[in-house]
Amino acid sequence: MSAAPAAASAASAGRRQYDLGFARWVYQHVEGGDKVAMCMQCGMCSGSCPIGTAMDHGPRKLFMMIRAGMKEAVLTSNTIWNCTQCYNCVVRCPRKVPVTAILQSLATVAVKEGYAPTQSTPKFSKAFWLSVARFGRTDERLVTALYYFSHGLKEGIRRALENLPIALRMIKAGRMHLGLPHRAKGAADLRAILAKAEDIERAERAGGKPS
Amino acid sequence: MAGEAAESQTVLVVGGGIAGITAAVEVIETGYDVVLVEKSPTLGGRVAQLNRYFPKLCHPTCGLEINYQRLRSNPRIRVLTMATVAAVSGSRGRFGVTIETRPRHVNANCTACGDCAKAATTRVPNAYNYGLDTVPAAHLPHAMAYPMRYVLAPEVIGTPEADAIRAACKYGAIDLEEKPRRFDLAVGAIVWAAGWKPYDAAKLQSYGHGRVPNVINNVEMERLAAFTGPTGGKILRPSDGKPAKRVALIQCAGSRDHNHLPYCSRICCLGSLKHAAYVREQYADGQVDIYYIDIRAHDKLEAFYRRVAADPQVRFVKSKPASITADDAGNPVLHGEDTVSREIYDRPYDLVVLATGMEPSLAGALPAKLAVDDYGFLVPELDPGSGMFAAGVAQGPLDVSMSVQSATAAALKAIQAIRGAGGHAAAGRA
Ligand SMILES: Cc1cc2nc3c(=O)[nH]c(=O)nc-3n(C[C@H](O)[C@H](O)[C@H](O)COP(=O)(O)OP(=O)(O)OC[C@H]3O[C@@H](n4cnc5c(N)ncnc54)[C@H](O)[C@@H]3O)c2cc1C
Ligand code: SF4
Ligand code: SF4
Repeated sequence: MSAAPAAASAASAGRRQYDLGFARWVYQHVEGGDKVAMCMQCGMCSGSCPIGTAMDHGPRKLFMMIRAGMKEAVLTSNTIWNCTQCYNCVVRCPRKVPVTAILQSLATVAVKEGYAPTQSTPKFSKAFWLSVARFGRTDERLVTALYYFSHGLKEGIRRALENLPIALRMIKAGRMHLGLPHRAKGAADLRAILAKAEDIERAERAGGKPS
Repeated sequence: MAGEAAESQTVLVVGGGIAGITAAVEVIETGYDVVLVEKSPTLGGRVAQLNRYFPKLCHPTCGLEINYQRLRSNPRIRVLTMATVAAVSGSRGRFGVTIETRPRHVNANCTACGDCAKAATTRVPNAYNYGLDTVPAAHLPHAMAYPMRYVLAPEVIGTPEADAIRAACKYGAIDLEEKPRRFDLAVGAIVWAAGWKPYDAAKLQSYGHGRVPNVINNVEMERLAAFTGPTGGKILRPSDGKPAKRVALIQCAGSRDHNHLPYCSRICCLGSLKHAAYVREQYADGQVDIYYIDIRAHDKLEAFYRRVAADPQVRFVKSKPASITADDAGNPVLHGEDTVSREIYDRPYDLVVLATGMEPSLAGALPAKLAVDDYGFLVPELDPGSGMFAAGVAQGPLDVSMSVQSATAAALKAIQAIRGAGGHAAAGRA
């Protein structure tokens, strides 16, 4: 988002921020972002969303905000984080807008842009990613532990203790194992692939693309 | 082929709706012969199934009746009902057309006295009312039928009931032996006017048509409001016959939707405005909510929109509803997002009407090599030298007045095609 104007002064004056290049940037850099231009603001997506009332804007309004250039408001919106990826909206959208992919990709962009989301969804995503990238698999214990302790030591201990009885019952029932995390067969290959992908991404960013 | 004598100067018109009737009338009154082929037992098409026409809300008899008069008094027309075109060969001026007919089992002796209907005990779904009620196996297609002649449902053929029906007719009009026929005609030009069918509302899965009680489509609404419909013209909800006073009309139900019909059917907005007027005429305390993406009342029809919109008991909600469920009282409940207020709503109604669009009748079943657009509508100016033309909704979503205009244009082109084929001498002879 190279063209993003300095936010501080206007934001402190309580005015809305408009970045007129934002829509174009989204069309080019967000997965499925070009399809935002297809949206006809019918409301089918937000009306179909099972957690529609738990979203500040919902997909339809968010897409209008993108087109209006409301970068700050879009990237700090809880809509991009609260999506459960149920795909209700995608199957019903009359314009075939890939709503779910766009929301997900916007969340990734928001993190890269340094927007700190207020909810814990990204913490869980990070824990999930760590396990998958390292072992090629999700390990329930690792993911939950990482997630719990990402809220701080005290909160981590509290949540761990709270869930201990469940964990014990799962172990007893053979639903959770003790010992090292399971590994996928090609975990090492996967790590190499991811490293290569990161290289490419870094090179692209250095190549003058908007960060 | 210019200058060559046409082997036939007859024009074949396929489809006896308002477009086909108009094209036929225009051609015969110019002095050429027409064979009008209609699939159902009567002319009139979908217009005969409307309660009233927008924008003036006049009755469909006006429009149909005058045209029937013009047909009746002219010897140049031959009307074949229960007939379709199975195949077309040849070219302009010399087409060979294969016609197939289904048996009506009632011949021209019929006086429409109705004694056969009294003798019938079996009831069959009433196609005129889109199956919302039933009719006796011997019935008149509808009060505006042309020809004014009864028809026997195939269900009773070969049963003792059929014999009783035959015995009841004083005029010897019942012919139980009539068989399907197949024969060839030579014609010089063809006007395709096979019209449309309503988009299948059951495909709009989350709207529950056929599953959630009191969710109907717009063509059913026309019948509910019509005096000749299943409720004698009272707008009552199908599940319990309660007056439907709180009514939601859903625009673009399956239209402008890449999962269904990608195009706008052009008439459904006006159709729903008309439905709002039907409800408000019947119920002083009625409340109609029109759920829309945008209201498309093109050119002169804007005035009708303004008239309806001025009614404080007609509300416009900018929202494409997401789904419809049933509550315990049998009310359909609309769920969605109001895109102006961003309210996520759950609203119960007495009746919900889905404004479904028009799909071309011939889509996927073309009896000849015809150019169609991406949506299955015929390209109006089929190859100009081809001698084949399209009229009415067969060529695209049109209202009645535009269908009539396109039919007049097609009639003119058809005449030019047969005259061109025969040279000017032919015109002189005519
Ligand atoms: C809910 C609703 C309300 C409407 N209200 C209005 C209104 O108020 N005012 C207005 O101007 N317009 C209205 N319209 C539009 C109007 O119905 C059409 O403009 C009109 O029906 C077009 O006439 P047509 O002759 O082209 O087609 P049709 O009416 O469909 O007639 C076609 C005829 O061809 C026959 N046919 C089909 N296939 C074959 C075949 N293979 N061989 C032989 N015959 C065949 C059919 O049986 C039919 O008789 C409305 C539409 C809808 C959906
Ligand atoms: S359903 Fe599709 S077209 Fe409708 S508002 Fe949502 S994204 Fe836009
Ligand atoms: S995929 Fe996300 S935005 Fe779409 S309906 Fe499901 S939760 Fe809502």
